[in-house]
Parts: sequence; C-alpha cells; structure tokens
Amino acid sequence: MARVTLERVSVEFPIYGSHRSLRKALFERAAGGVIRREGTHHELVLVNALEDISLDLTDGDRLGLVGHNGAGKTTLLKVIAGIYEPVRGKIAVEGQATPLFDALPGLDAEATGYENIVTAGLLLGMTRQEIELKIPQIEEFSELGEYLSLPVRIYSTGMIARLGFSVATAVEPDILLMDEGIATGDAGFGERAAERMRAFIGRSHIVVLASHTGELIRATCNKAALMHAGRLVTIGSVEEVFARYRTETASAAEP
Amino acid sequence: MASSLVASNSPIRTTVTARDDLIGGLMKWEIWGRLGWFEIKRRYRRTVIGPFWGAISIAIVVLAMGGVGSGLFHRSAADYLPFLASGMVVWIMIASMVTEGCNLFIGAEHLFRQMRFDYSMLAYALVWRNWISFAHNLSVYAVIALIFAPHLLTPFILMAVPGLLLVGACGAWIALLLGMLCLRFRDVQQLIASLMQLAIFVTPIFWSPEDLPGRPALVFLNPLHYLIDIVRQPLLGVMPSFVTYIAVAGIAVTGWALTIVVFQRFRKRIAYWS
Repeated sequence: MARVTLERVSVEFPIYGSHRSLRKALFERAAGGVIRREGTHHELVLVNALEDISLDLTDGDRLGLVGHNGAGKTTLLKVIAGIYEPVRGKIAVEGQATPLFDALPGLDAEATGYENIVTAGLLLGMTRQEIELKIPQIEEFSELGEYLSLPVRIYSTGMIARLGFSVATAVEPDILLMDEGIATGDAGFGERAAERMRAFIGRSHIVVLASHTGELIRATCNKAALMHAGRLVTIGSVEEVFARYRTETASAAEP
Repeated sequence: MASSLVASNSPIRTTVTARDDLIGGLMKWEIWGRLGWFEIKRRYRRTVIGPFWGAISIAIVVLAMGGVGSGLFHRSAADYLPFLASGMVVWIMIASMVTEGCNLFIGAEHLFRQMRFDYSMLAYALVWRNWISFAHNLSVYAVIALIFAPHLLTPFILMAVPGLLLVGACGAWIALLLGMLCLRFRDVQQLIASLMQLAIFVTPIFWSPEDLPGRPALVFLNPLHYLIDIVRQPLLGVMPSFVTYIAVAGIAVTGWALTIVVFQRFRKRIAYWS
C-alpha cells in the first residue's frame, strides 16, 4: 500500500545576494517559476517553483508530468521524494519513495563497483542483506564482470551509467519517481534495458514520471498532469492532457 | 483519511522533525560509518604510507616547536615533548572537526539533493572520521612518549576514552550548527578559519596555564582549553579535574540545546540554501 497526498503545496527558492549566481540557481533548480522580489530594497529574490499543488495518488497510479522546461516537474518530484519540504501546504507520503534522478547515489569514484553498490543500496533504503541478495542480478545485468572489483574511477561513462541503471532498477520501490534522463535508459543497452525498466515500473506501486516528450508517458502512464509556471494546470487522461499541452504550445507560438 | 491506511506497516512520512533526523540518522550507523570510513580511504588512496602523512607532519611540528618551546618555558625534553605532542594531536582533531564542520553541507549536496537524507548523518560521519584520524595521529604521541617518557605509556591512557566520547558529542553539534551557518552565510567559513588560526596560540597548547598566570581568562573562559584537556591530561598520566568534565559536559548540553532549536527551525531550509 502506497499513497502520496499533497495539499496546497507551495515551494519557493530564495536567491541570496549577488555572490551567488542567480542564473546558476535558476538553471540548476529547474525552477522556471515566477520570480518575485521582497524586502524594502528588493534584496530578496524568490522563485515560486511550485504554487498551490494538490494531488492524491494511490496504488496503481502512473502519473506523467508534462510541461516545458522549468514548469516545476523536477521540483515536484523532489518534493514527493522528501528532498524539499514544502514552504506552505502539507504532504503525506506512505511507503518508500525512491527517486531516480542521477546515476548512482553517493557515487565514490575511488571505491570499487561492489562498494558503490552497497553504498547506493543503503542510501536507497535497503538493508545489507537485501543488497547482498540483489548483487547476483546486478552482476548479471550490468555485465561488468571483473570490473566490479575495480575502482569506479577507471570505468567509462557508459559503464558507470550501466552500473547506476542496474542498481537503481534492482530496488523494490513503493513510490518510483523518475526524471526523463534515467527513465529513457541512458545506459543505452537496448531491449534488455527497456525490458528491465518495464518490470521495474510494473512492480512499483506508484510511479511519477517527468518528461516533455510524449512517447515514454504514453507507454507508461495511466494519467497525466500538465504543469505550467509551477502550477498544476490540469490532470486527467494522458490523451486529454497531451491535447491540451499541444493547443497551449500552439497558441503560445502564435503572436 | 481512513484509519485502515494508517494501520498499514509502512510508516507515513509527513513533516520530518529535528528529532526524527537526529535519532533516525544515528540509527543508520551503517551509512554514516561507511561515508566516514570511505572519506578516510579516499584521502589516502594511492599513497604509500597513507594516513601516516598526517602523523609525520605533526611529528615535524612537534620536534621543531619542541626545541623552541622547551627553551622558552625552561622545560626538559622529557617533560615538554610529550606535553606538546599530546596537545597537538588533540588540537588537530578538534580544529578539523570545526573547520570541516563549516563544509558539512556545502560539500555534500550530491547526497542530500538526490534523495531524502537525514542531515545529521553527515555530522556523525564527520566525528567518526576524525576519531579515526586521531587514532592514526596518536602514533606520533606514542613514539615521542616511548623515546622521551616511556613511563607515560600505561593503561591509564584509556582514561582518555570518556573524554574522547564527550569531545565527539560536542563535535557533532558544532559541525551541524556551523554547517548550517556556513551554508547560508558563506563568509562565516573564512571567519572561522581565521579564528581557529588564532585559537592555536591563545589556547594552552604550546604553553601551560602555569606559564601565564596573569591571563586566567584565556584558560578558564576558553572552551577549547577544556575540550583539549579532557583528552590530553590522561595521555600525560593525569586525571582531568572534575571541573573539566563538568565544563565539557556543559558545552555538550548547552551546545546541543541550541543546535536542536536551530536545526528544528532551519533543517528544511538546508536543501534550499545549497
């Protein structure tokens, strides 16, 4: 049983003084929300990354988040993951939320592949025994063989991606949170990866997937939500939401 | 919400409190133990004598300063060198807990920006790895004591362990508090670094309180003095005074009280400040 409930959740990022680059903060946070200024001399810049989001997801829900860059998709995933706590509003999450944003959590280039598997597994909430049980299938799937006993520093980019994908997809998530990058199987090892990904998504109770291409969401999700400037514009069937997304994109393109 | 939902076995995460973070983090010793240990390993990977580089540089300082100090304070090498070595080794542990504490969150964004993470684990890992470094650096003291004052090497040295635990308890709150402060106000780190450079001179490390009877404030109002003495004294065969234990326990309790208040208030801002 898993459940995600958001009640009027808002998130805003403060951007402090000139010594911290505004541009960097905006891009890194993928928060293209409304920029607001507060204080007597407008010294405090706030970016409203999420505004008044309410959402209720239960077992079986596969939600696709649709929207332009900076619409708040990634921020919403990070709020559900518990990385950002809402500035306003309430969130309740039942079950283990597993975010898949980057390759391997806690990656240590000087440690071996095996050592990194254990660290990542622990960080993803597995126990030592659970990780030990997963190691054979990670070995088998990653096809890294002897390399797993060597420091990750000597791996190629593709090998690191493969290790990350193999570990990430070995967990048993209640709530799976995916951002486009890893979901498309950047590991790039074809049909086997796609098959493993499908199985992984299949055994997750809830899936939330952020993407701005339709393909993956159509293949995976049973509902979708359109986001714009930090707000949830509409939530409904995948086709409805994409139809709305297309018309909005088209109308925005016309002067 | 129906009560049947609440009855399910998986815990419901709503707002995480400071207490959840501090205690939950402490329970995950497997993670912070690993993070601390790997940090040590990473530092010395591909060096031949690894951790003992730190020890060697301390040994050089102790021998050089030992010549100056024993002349300056009219103390014999057998008396002064173990005093200096023990002081330096303990000081380096405390000073690096403080300076590394400033970087607690700045250097760990890859961990807590990727998944939900109990921030306190970073502080526990910091204390743990500094204990490990201390154990390595203690070899300097052991060698110097063996040469100049072998009578000091008795099981009495184990009396340093309670002090070490108390210093660790202080190190954890110092790291958490400074970590938050330095993350939000990036200048603080520079300030602390300058202060620590000063502190090494005004704290009785090279000199004993008896050498400077005219400046009791530097000794008795200096928290660093107690933090050092509680570990150093047993190494020199002396039982730390009751006052020292009370002072360090007091630093731990008041420091944690303050840190818990600040952590409760600002914990959820950490991800936003990074």
